[in-house]
Formats: sequence, structure tokens, C-alpha cells
Amino acid sequence: MRIRVVDLGLVSPVRSQTVYHAVGYAFRSDAPPTILLVSTTDPYVSIGYHQDAEREVDLEYCRQAGLPVIRREVGGGAVYLDHNQVFTQWIFPRELVPVRVEDRFAWYVRPLVETYRQWGIEATWRPINDIHVRGRKIGGTGAASIGDAEILVGSLMLDFDTKQMARVLKVASEKMRDKVFQSLEEYMTTMRRELGTMPDRDQVVHTYLEQCSAALGAELEFGELTPEEEAVAAELDARFASEEWLYQKGGLRESGIKIHTDVRLHEAALKVPGGLIRVIVRTHGGRIDDVSLSGDFTLLPALGLAAIEQAVRGLSTRREELAVRIREVYRALGLQSPGVTAEDFAQAIAQAAHSAI
Amino acid sequence: MQDERVRVYRGCILPLDLLYDVEHDVWVRLEGEQARLGMTDPAQTRAGKLVAIRFKRPGTVVERGRALATIESGKWVGPFPAPFRCEILETNQSGFERDILLANRDPYGEGWLLLVRPLAPEQLDDLLPGEEAFQRYRQRIDELGLTCFRCAE
Repeated sequence: MRIRVVDLGLVSPVRSQTVYHAVGYAFRSDAPPTILLVSTTDPYVSIGYHQDAEREVDLEYCRQAGLPVIRREVGGGAVYLDHNQVFTQWIFPRELVPVRVEDRFAWYVRPLVETYRQWGIEATWRPINDIHVRGRKIGGTGAASIGDAEILVGSLMLDFDTKQMARVLKVASEKMRDKVFQSLEEYMTTMRRELGTMPDRDQVVHTYLEQCSAALGAELEFGELTPEEEAVAAELDARFASEEWLYQKGGLRESGIKIHTDVRLHEAALKVPGGLIRVIVRTHGGRIDDVSLSGDFTLLPALGLAAIEQAVRGLSTRREELAVRIREVYRALGLQSPGVTAEDFAQAIAQAAHSAI
Repeated sequence: MQDERVRVYRGCILPLDLLYDVEHDVWVRLEGEQARLGMTDPAQTRAGKLVAIRFKRPGTVVERGRALATIESGKWVGPFPAPFRCEILETNQSGFERDILLANRDPYGEGWLLLVRPLAPEQLDDLLPGEEAFQRYRQRIDELGLTCFRCAE
């Protein structure tokens, strides 16, 4: 099998997204499977196909910061991207791609994982579509059926700006933003972080292509885009930059901010007679990893809140289990909270966590 | 499942009272002048748990093979294709709002996707009835090495 490889180097933000869609839309049955390698000249925010831009992204901040927000036809969440990622985009005919989505990701991720390993980074595939290094994510992947082609996209994560990532998301409170940032720091990694130094793009790409060739048993041929692919990309540049495309209504989606496959952040509020309980929950593998409680209720002594937060860590997200533990804290510390019960806290946490898993 | 009105192969359930577009993995239930459409059990298995769905608006006319809705599952995005030229009458938006895993849990029942009006009667002839579809699916399931399971469970 021969595979066309097109390394476009640095291109504009919108082109770094439209190019693989264009190769997909222009795909004909006699076209070769293609691997595109591309990075963006300038930072931008990429949002998932079914996301609602206004709900997920701080558009006002992005406008002020001059960050384009670009919807892709691939799933997943909003992500801040810059020149420190090399996007690895595969456009393949349907018959060459594993049928089940999970198998497809395993197949696509292998050369990425092997590349990291060649560089001495202990990467593993974390189904369905994450790559992890000792529990930290080093990049996600996505897939789509576009035109007659099957598309898989991911990246070689040379580096990643967690601060900007946390900044561009729309969140209900700065406290939540801090949690997002902390969680990204805790649960994400990059080649730079693992190696202690920034790797050279060309060398990483070289390793990656060797691994692609080995994994696919294919001969790689460097090529260029065809005039037709260029033309479709130019059309898509305009469409993807349009307000109509950006502001289309989001589809029905599960909620919560996914940090990686096992880790999600979610916030919720519960109105009870004693006031409003606000809760930010981070779950890890379905268990409570971190909780932050606030609101306009009264709880005495005040340190009780931190004690509750501490006590529920590691518990399952079942309301009854949470309630038992929180009642223990109430008893041990003699907590008083007019109009707010231990069960209310349990319910608020469980409510948030369940919609977050 | 022992029900005589369904066929099961490698865990994949195919009710016999439906029509199928095997290529597009869509089931069709004719209801008078209208048709109800959904993902087959093999289709929901291949896709995995749904995380999002966006329907085209009622009133839209969609050509055969083009998307009536887009589906997202485990970061794969793809079309739910029209098995024939049709006009969208109703979508199961409210069902999926309640439970995004509806098609994973109950692909032939509550997990239906759209109610449409067929606009090309001759294209309906290309649909396969249950038993015939089952034979084709057996072959396809073998080729794909597929074993169906309800992803939501």
C-alpha cells in the first residue's frame, strides 16, 4: 500500500482545520490514503461539531485577544491550539479503516504512541480515544465520516498552553476556571514537560512517519494537495470563518468539562430552604476526586465546609454513601446549618457528579 | 431473546417486521404515508455510546444517502443517512434530550430518530424486508467481526 504524506508545515488557523475536511470532501475512490501534517501559525480555539459556541467558549475574551474560534466537523470539546502541536490528520478510504470506532482509534493511535515511546515517553492508548502517560493525557483524537472518506485526527503534543486553555472556556465562576486550570496541570502532559526540553518538530515528525510506515505496512510518498483539494479548502476557509457556521445551534450533548477519559469537571447549584448550594465536582474513574462547595447558606463552624469537602474525596457518587459520610462530619464537628441538611449537600454533589460522568 | 419476531446473530437483534437499508445501517417502519427511521443494533454497536446528536429541521427535504442528522459518539462524528428521498416531519429531539443514550438502549423502540414522508416511492423498493435483511446482515456481521451489545449497559 502507498500512502500520500503531505507536510504543510505552518498554515493559517482556519486552514489547519479546513485542509483535512477538504481532502475528505474531495475524496474519490481512486484517491490514495493521505496523512496530513500541519501546525497553525497563530493560536485559535477549535470547537467540536455539536458544541454551542456561546455556551462553551468565552467569545468576548477570544475577540479581545484576537483568537479565532473555529468549528470543526469532528466531535469532542473546545480546545486551545497553537504552533506547539503537530496535527496528524488521516484521510482514508472506508475499506481500509477498522469498522468499530474503538478499533479505529486503537489503529490510528498506535503510531502516535510509538512515536512518544521512541522519544522515551511512556505513552499508552487509553480507550476510547486518549493517549496517556502515567495517568496524564498527552492528547486526544477524533474521527469523522466526511464525504466518502473516513477521517481521524489527533496531534503530536510538543507543548500545550494550559493557562490559555482554561482562559478561553466559558465557565460560571473564576473558581471553576481555577479548577479547570489545576485539573489540566494535574492531568495533562506534553513532550516538553516529559522531556524537560522542547523537542524539534521535524525530528518528531520524522519519527512519527517511520512509525506510520511500520504500523500500516505501507510505503510513504511525499506529495502535495491536488488543485481540486486546494479549491475545496479555499471554499471551506470562507465557510468555517463565517458567523453562520460558528453560531449554529449546538446539538444535544452530555454536560461537564472533560479533562481526559477518566476525569471530568462539573458544576451545579441546588436551591434549598437555607440558601443556594454551589458545587464544583471533579470525578476520576467515577469516584469523587475533588469537591468545592460554596453558596449563600450559613454553616457553623465555618471550617465545616472544608471538612465536608475533604471527607467525600474517594467516595462513589451515590447520594446515600455521600449522605452517610457527611452526616458523620456533622456529628463529629457539631455542624449547624439552618435550612441546609447533610442530605442536601449529598444531593448537590451527587447531582453534579452524575451529570459529569 | 426468544421472540419469534426477531432474529439474533452474534448478539445483534433484527426485528422481522421492519424494512432495512443494510448499506446505510438504517431501519424503516412504514406507518401509512409516513416512515419512522432509526439506527440498527449493528449501527449503534459500531458507533458506541452517543454523546451528541443534531437533527435537521422538520420540513427539510433530504436526498437518499445525505444526512438527516449528525451523530457523535466517542468523538466520532458521522451522518445518519436518509435511506430514501424524504421530508422530515418530526424528530425524536425530546427523547434524546431526556436521554442521549436512547438509541444505544432501545434502538428499535424509544430510540427512533425521525419520522419522515417518503418522496421517492421507487426507492422504497430497494429496502429489504426483515428475513432477507437478516441474511445480508449475517454475512456483514461476519465480515466485520461484529458482536452486538447495548453500549449503554
